[in-house]
Amino acid sequence: MTQPGAPVPDLAVTLAGLRLEHPVLNASGTFDALETARHYGPEALAPFPFSAYVPKTVTLERRDGNPPPRLTETAAGMINAVGLQNPGIEAYLDDLPLLAFVPVPVLVNIGGRRPGDYLEVLRRVEERLAAGAAGSPQVAGYELNVSCPNVGRGGLAVGTEPGETEKLTAAARALTKRLLIVKLTPNVTDVVAVARAAAEAGADALSLVNTVRALVLDPQTLTPFLGNRTGGLSGPAIKPVALRMVWEVAGALDAPIIGMGGIACGRDVLEFVACGATAVAVGAANFSGPDAPRRIVAELRAELVGRGLPDLAAVRGRALV
Amino acid sequence: MNSTAPPPAEQTCATATSGHYRVIERRSFGPYALLTLLAPDIAALAAPGQFVMVALPGTQFRLRRPLSLHSVGGERVRLLVEPRGEGTRELVELGVADTLAVAGPLGHGFPLERVRAALLVAGGIGVAPFQFVADVLRARGVPVTATFGFRDEGQARLAGAFEIDHLWVATDDGSVGRHGTAVELAREVGAGPQASVLACGPAPLLDAVRTWASTAGLSGYASLEAHMACGSGACHGCVVPTREGYLRVCVDGPVFALDLLGSGASTDASAPGAGLAPDGAKPQAAQ
Repeated sequence: MTQPGAPVPDLAVTLAGLRLEHPVLNASGTFDALETARHYGPEALAPFPFSAYVPKTVTLERRDGNPPPRLTETAAGMINAVGLQNPGIEAYLDDLPLLAFVPVPVLVNIGGRRPGDYLEVLRRVEERLAAGAAGSPQVAGYELNVSCPNVGRGGLAVGTEPGETEKLTAAARALTKRLLIVKLTPNVTDVVAVARAAAEAGADALSLVNTVRALVLDPQTLTPFLGNRTGGLSGPAIKPVALRMVWEVAGALDAPIIGMGGIACGRDVLEFVACGATAVAVGAANFSGPDAPRRIVAELRAELVGRGLPDLAAVRGRALV
Repeated sequence: MNSTAPPPAEQTCATATSGHYRVIERRSFGPYALLTLLAPDIAALAAPGQFVMVALPGTQFRLRRPLSLHSVGGERVRLLVEPRGEGTRELVELGVADTLAVAGPLGHGFPLERVRAALLVAGGIGVAPFQFVADVLRARGVPVTATFGFRDEGQARLAGAFEIDHLWVATDDGSVGRHGTAVELAREVGAGPQASVLACGPAPLLDAVRTWASTAGLSGYASLEAHMACGSGACHGCVVPTREGYLRVCVDGPVFALDLLGSGASTDASAPGAGLAPDGAKPQAAQ
């Protein structure tokens, strides 16, 4: 229990040199800072609920995304097959100054159909930032989404093959000095092999995991419910899968990990940290209400207080036994 | 990064809010429930045709349910709920003094400024938003005619939740009101060449409304439903195909001009108002 006058636990973490006020980021595509500000007012983002902001995946060309329906609830989770709908990198860059109000580091999440697409997107972001566009947000780095299960033979193919992952990561590494994160898929036999390939090719950190490829039927017609037929499962249903993968990778490599997959409360964060994660991302839980990230951070603080822990380092890797 | 809305810097106040609100009245209409929430901040911001995202009670992970605003009066907002799956059944069973986490109002409602006469055409739980619409139009002295279609007597109990001067009812089985559909009824009753058609209901109804309105030279709007996750434009999970491509029901809609919805545009949107089917079941067509 809390002693009167006990020190407030320190939630700050350093992710590959990037200092974050607390370990909770948003998972790409589950939270939009601009839309939130438009609807609920800028004050709804003060203080900003996440310690870094990962916008929705951007691709080189505009993508219309998959035909609807694109999502539905499942037992302890949800399935989605949005298909990376986005306006393409040029429109994205034109709108980038709108994110200048975001007070935390921004991590640009990049998707693609071909390895060259990722690199071209990254190059154009670097170019725009180098031009010193006034009012740009603080773009601290990139998250390469080599793992979306809903774009056909796209990113998932790269992220399922260590060799492809290594080539793409190395080429991206050559294009930027900013933080380079590779977001891995759980839809592989050996996640450590892909993680190692990314880390050895120069990734500063690894995000684990993207959604789990899954299928939901329409109960009346007994045919696939989603327009894309298959989709990606997320939410608490996949937390044990994600924990296992973070635990495996953390046990094998030194690369910092952003753990994600079904985080819905403060103790979930602690479990990912115990499995070796440095930071975490909240995804599906954002859909349970706009207060989810703040609640999760508050619960995390209470977990540390309740356990008498001064900071997250005290528990990091504890499960690696 | 849709550029239709102003950036935050240009916006001085929020269009929506989120909080916990108390149920202060509950009325039953057969299996359906009309919940009245004391929600002054939502009531102050709301416009007809908008919706709210309602969190289900309990601590387990569930997506929030999008529900149309049935009506707004003073500091109160009303939600008409159909027990469609597990989640909505829990909402229907709420009682007075229970509280709900609600965010809203969200989306673009019916543009009523230039409506000189209105013909409201709705089916099943798609009737939900039309008390608010009728109230606003009546206050402006605009004549309102409504034709509601239901599956059967049980579903027709929904009509009891409405006070609209010229309200006509049809059922598919003829057990209540006219034997037929809301659109057949609308075609017969009519509301004059000036009338705007405002529709809400399952896909076959919206397709029929669109065809009829275009033949009759009437313009109008339809409110759509989709499975939703964020309710505020972030996830792109709720899109519908339109003549302008996939548009998000939550922020680009839920109300769309009828002529924006191409053939088949509404095939993935079903009876609006009651929210997504929580257990993956497609909403049943009432027509």
